[in-house]
Amino acid sequence: MTEALFIGFAAMLVASSLLVILHRNPVASALFLVLAFCSLAGIYLLFHAEFIGMVQIIVYAGAIMVLFLFVIMYLNLQRDEEGGVHIALRRGLGWVAGTVVLAEGVFMLARRWAPGPLTPEVPGEAAGNTQQLGMLLFSRYLFPFEVTSLVLLVAIIGVVVIAKGRSTAGSGTRPAPGEDG
Amino acid sequence: MNVLPTPVLLAVDWWALGAVLALSAGILLLLLLEFFPAQARSNRSAIVALLTLAAAGWSVFHVRDAKREIFGGMFVHDGFTVFFTLLFCAAGALAVLLSWDYVKRTRINQAEYYALLLSATAGMIIMAASNDLITIFLGLELMSLALYVLVGFQRHHLESNEAALKYFLLGAFASGFLLYGIALLYGATGTTGLGQMAAVMIDSPMLGNPLFLLGGLLLIIGFGFKVSAVPFHMWTPDAYEGAPTSITAFMSVGAKAAGFAALLRVLMRAMGDVQADWIPILSGLAILTMTVGNITALLQNNLKRMLAYSSIAHAGYVLIAVVAGGRDGAASALFYLAIYAVMNLGAFGVLTLLGREREERVLISDLAGLGFRHPALGIALTLFMISLGGIPPTAGFMAKVYVFSAALNAGLVPLVIIGVLNSVVAIFYYLRVTVALYMEEPQGEPVYVSWATPGVIALIASVVLTLWWGIQANGLLAAAQRSVLGLL
Amino acid sequence: MNLPLLWIIPALPIAAVALNLLVGDRLGRRGIAWLACGAVGLAFLAAVRAALTLAALPEGERQVVETAYTWMRVGDFSIQVAFLLDPLSTVMALVVTGVGFLIHVYSVGYMAHDPSYRRFFLYLNLFMFAMLTLVLADNLLLMFVGWEGVGLCSYLLIGFWYERPSAAEAGKKAFIVNRIGDFGVILGMLMLFTYGGSLQYERLFAMAPHVFALGGGLITGAMLLMFLGATGKSAQLPLYTWLPDAMEGPTPVSALIHAATMVTAGVYLVARCHVLFELAPVALQTVAVIGAATALFAATIGIAQNDIKRVLAYSTVSQLGYMFLACGVGAFGAAIFHLMTHAFFKALLFLGAGSVIHALSDEQDLRRMGGLASRLPWTHATMLTATLAISGIPPFAGFFSKDEILHGAFASGHHVIWLVGLIGAALTAFYMFRLYVLCFRGPSRVTPEAAHHLHESPPTMIVPLVVLAALSVVGGWVGLPLLAGGHPFERWLAPSVESAAGAHGEAAAHAMSAGGAWLLMALSVAVALAGIALAVRAYLQDPEIAGRLRERLRVVHAVVFHKYWVDEIYDALVVSPIYRLSRWLWRVWDVKVVDGTVNGVGFTFEGVSAVLRLFQTGFVGTYALIFTIGVAVLLYHFLRG
Repeated sequence: MTEALFIGFAAMLVASSLLVILHRNPVASALFLVLAFCSLAGIYLLFHAEFIGMVQIIVYAGAIMVLFLFVIMYLNLQRDEEGGVHIALRRGLGWVAGTVVLAEGVFMLARRWAPGPLTPEVPGEAAGNTQQLGMLLFSRYLFPFEVTSLVLLVAIIGVVVIAKGRSTAGSGTRPAPGEDG
Repeated sequence: MNVLPTPVLLAVDWWALGAVLALSAGILLLLLLEFFPAQARSNRSAIVALLTLAAAGWSVFHVRDAKREIFGGMFVHDGFTVFFTLLFCAAGALAVLLSWDYVKRTRINQAEYYALLLSATAGMIIMAASNDLITIFLGLELMSLALYVLVGFQRHHLESNEAALKYFLLGAFASGFLLYGIALLYGATGTTGLGQMAAVMIDSPMLGNPLFLLGGLLLIIGFGFKVSAVPFHMWTPDAYEGAPTSITAFMSVGAKAAGFAALLRVLMRAMGDVQADWIPILSGLAILTMTVGNITALLQNNLKRMLAYSSIAHAGYVLIAVVAGGRDGAASALFYLAIYAVMNLGAFGVLTLLGREREERVLISDLAGLGFRHPALGIALTLFMISLGGIPPTAGFMAKVYVFSAALNAGLVPLVIIGVLNSVVAIFYYLRVTVALYMEEPQGEPVYVSWATPGVIALIASVVLTLWWGIQANGLLAAAQRSVLGLL
Repeated sequence: MNLPLLWIIPALPIAAVALNLLVGDRLGRRGIAWLACGAVGLAFLAAVRAALTLAALPEGERQVVETAYTWMRVGDFSIQVAFLLDPLSTVMALVVTGVGFLIHVYSVGYMAHDPSYRRFFLYLNLFMFAMLTLVLADNLLLMFVGWEGVGLCSYLLIGFWYERPSAAEAGKKAFIVNRIGDFGVILGMLMLFTYGGSLQYERLFAMAPHVFALGGGLITGAMLLMFLGATGKSAQLPLYTWLPDAMEGPTPVSALIHAATMVTAGVYLVARCHVLFELAPVALQTVAVIGAATALFAATIGIAQNDIKRVLAYSTVSQLGYMFLACGVGAFGAAIFHLMTHAFFKALLFLGAGSVIHALSDEQDLRRMGGLASRLPWTHATMLTATLAISGIPPFAGFFSKDEILHGAFASGHHVIWLVGLIGAALTAFYMFRLYVLCFRGPSRVTPEAAHHLHESPPTMIVPLVVLAALSVVGGWVGLPLLAGGHPFERWLAPSVESAAGAHGEAAAHAMSAGGAWLLMALSVAVALAGIALAVRAYLQDPEIAGRLRERLRVVHAVVFHKYWVDEIYDALVVSPIYRLSRWLWRVWDVKVVDGTVNGVGFTFEGVSAVLRLFQTGFVGTYALIFTIGVAVLLYHFLRG
């Protein structure tokens, strides 16, 4: 059962991710991204990572994607109208190279599949994995957690810099929230 | 609530973490100080940044002989960390001195500028000090995010915008590879800690494990992007050219050193026993990187672009040292990176002085006759070029000698031959600069030199170190050799 | 023991450089001249004092090492900044400082009207420092510092008159060709260090016979690489092309750097490492063959050149060939002997040529000279001395050293090489007397304007000429060969350049009958006289002959006149392919991007939409594509492996 669900979510994740980059309409792309986030949340749930699954939906699929959609619609982006031999050539080559990389990876892993010697600890359900996560974040992963806050601070500064620069340059558009990782 | 185990508070050595703490404090201080408006030409931010870097360097230097692992081995304070922390702080301090007047002249927003510069430094330190793939990645992102913004800081400048965007997009692309590599390594070994990874491999050798190999390869690609190894180098000339010159100086040195620091630690700590798998790959990258970098640099007319290709080529020389491995290989990489930092900062530093206001005078033809109008500047630039080209008695020569001799000791004869051939070719474009300085007449308006005391101090420091390490290399060499002991 | 204070010898010129940099603008011309000449003069005195100290030591102990400090430590080995005083380095230091001092004095007069007076002496002193470091260094690495230093100074001085594009070009060419040679030296040095375990001469030479098999591939490779460096620095086949072009520099520079000192560094290197070269007979054989070939090849080119300095340049190449020939046949002492006498007479020839050029208001074409003997009496007399010396006429200096080289070649059984050397000697006498006759004898072909200003040079130029002329006469007498067991020069050098094989060669030489030696000597004098006679006949008594000969041998003349088209061949084979490759890389990866900037970014100011559009438009896609291809290739490597 779990396996079937996993395969289902995974397939949906891959398919919707592909559509994000392949679809020509930016709004549709953004919506597929929402779908991708939801599939990912499903996979988290399957792994008993309920908290992360919820956060994934609330923060990513909810808050961030709304912002994305808002910006896209606000800018009223047209369909991608790129053309020309040069672009077509590069796109073709890109497909070929990407496929080759993928195929190579598959071949390599298919040759001798060897999962790691250690299985990661499964958080005890009794204590509830939100608590477990909190414990880990503030003990073992304290340092990465704090560094992350530094990363976010830098992202904020970056956004301020870009926004400030733009307003002095005299153009009123808002910056894309591109740097918040 | 007594079902919960009491959280284990990890013992933290505050001195060992001092550099990161000092830098974080400095960043916040810089931002908070903005509540008190200062004059546009105030030196406040630069001074704060300089003091912060000094405090960071000092706090690590203070406990330089200690060896600690904190946060459960995620952050290591050892000789390697100390060496790189001091290197980054010194590079940061030189960059601040070079920026001092440059940012005022180009009307860059000071507080954010210096805050980001400090963030990038903090990221580099975390990369070098991390003993865990997660923190390495976070350090890398911290550094990269700050650099993306810094590259695009000149919003009025088209190329600056473009450079930042390209750097950001490709950087995100490369980060994807890096993350995927980390995930695969976790899959193969069940841990992200480099120490645990090494321990796992003692029990079950990873030789030929495809997950592990693939993960390692993706990691190398990710770091290869940061050190601008060919074919992951394409962003370099654009980003270097578009960035404010003071930032180009800083990132060409700091980001490269940080990338190599992380690469060295990962390869030597966690992947020691599969070294044979990496040698052909890294050798290939080294050869490509040197050759493409040097040959493309030959015909550049823009100094920033030329130095960008030159920095690619130098990454190739350091890769030789990485391939050589072992104590001498790693030590020669450190030695090379330190010397490269000084001479490259110096070379870009001269460029920060050229032009007035927002004017960029970085074409080789702009240098025409400069050597006669400003002899001191001409001599300094010539010295940096000679050193970058690896001609004695400058530091650059000693750096190459040590790298090549370490590689020869490791039996990498073809690599050394290609390296020496490359350094011969490279002389040609470094020479073009001196030709312009001393053997050409300026066309049009001669370039204006915006003299600034802090910049001159930085240049003097670079000149002195470039000469000193060429004449008396022993101190730095011994430091580099001591610093890598923890990796072996 | 009484320390000779070696470090002071190179320190004096570098101190002068520092002073010149710091306060040069307040010194005035006179002050700069005093500073530069004084430093080199004092260095000469210091070298003399060092030589006397060394000579006072018993013969077996004539080797003093003076360590300044430890330079770098790699593993168990450390490299010191240390200076070595032994008979060989003494000779070199004396020649460099002595001839260098005379040329400095000469330059005071020669450069008197040049606006860049200060810069000239700055470079010249810097050169002295580098050259003295080269010859006095106690290890290969420090030697290499000097080696690169002299290359750099040579480049700066060749391009001294950078307003002439040809001068800047020549400077670059010299530097680049030398880098090819340096490539060899670096690799050779690294090989010696890796396998021999040290770069310090004494330790390396002591170690070498134990770690390198006689004639083994390693040592042969290392020595061939070192010799590649020597061919670059000393302008031998195939890397000689920069030296004739180097004549674009001021004439004192040609005399000092491109005749007397720097170009002999290659010879010094081979002689210094003779222990290693003797372990690699193939390499030594190569040295001999290249030397002999160059001696002959350059001499043939010298015949057809019309620029007085170019004739002398080819003559230098040819004479350096003789020195390598000597090294190659194991007569290292003879090589250094010739190096010394050559320094005297070739410096004199250049300075004399400079005096002529100076007198003729910068005319260098032999076809517009002639009949100058009476107008420039001092220059003429000294030049004649030097010409006789280089032609190998006894009792002038060149005779002794050249004869010794030919004798060494014959005695060690290299008969073909000896024959080549002998032919070269005849050619040398021929082209040198051609130069002499065209310049000083016959009817005057001087242009009227030049004739108007014609004047003998000032005393600061004449005095060095006279001193060098005296040395060109008596300089050879320290090596009176084979007579009464004499030869003080060779005995002096013996500890530095002699070894098992050398002693063996010596024995062979002595085994040759005195009669044979006299015969060889007579033969070499005879061919020299024949060359002189032919030149005098063809260019003075019956100028028709030269024209007829040129007609008769039109093809040969064309080949020689165009210097065998070597420059053109190098250009087509080496320079332009690299240039084209770089251009291609640039075009494909770079220009496109730079040009594309306009299309790619033109919209950035119009808002974020343009930013997003860059995803599709810009070259980021191309970059990512290359990135991905790189990944694919790396993965492929793993799949195979």
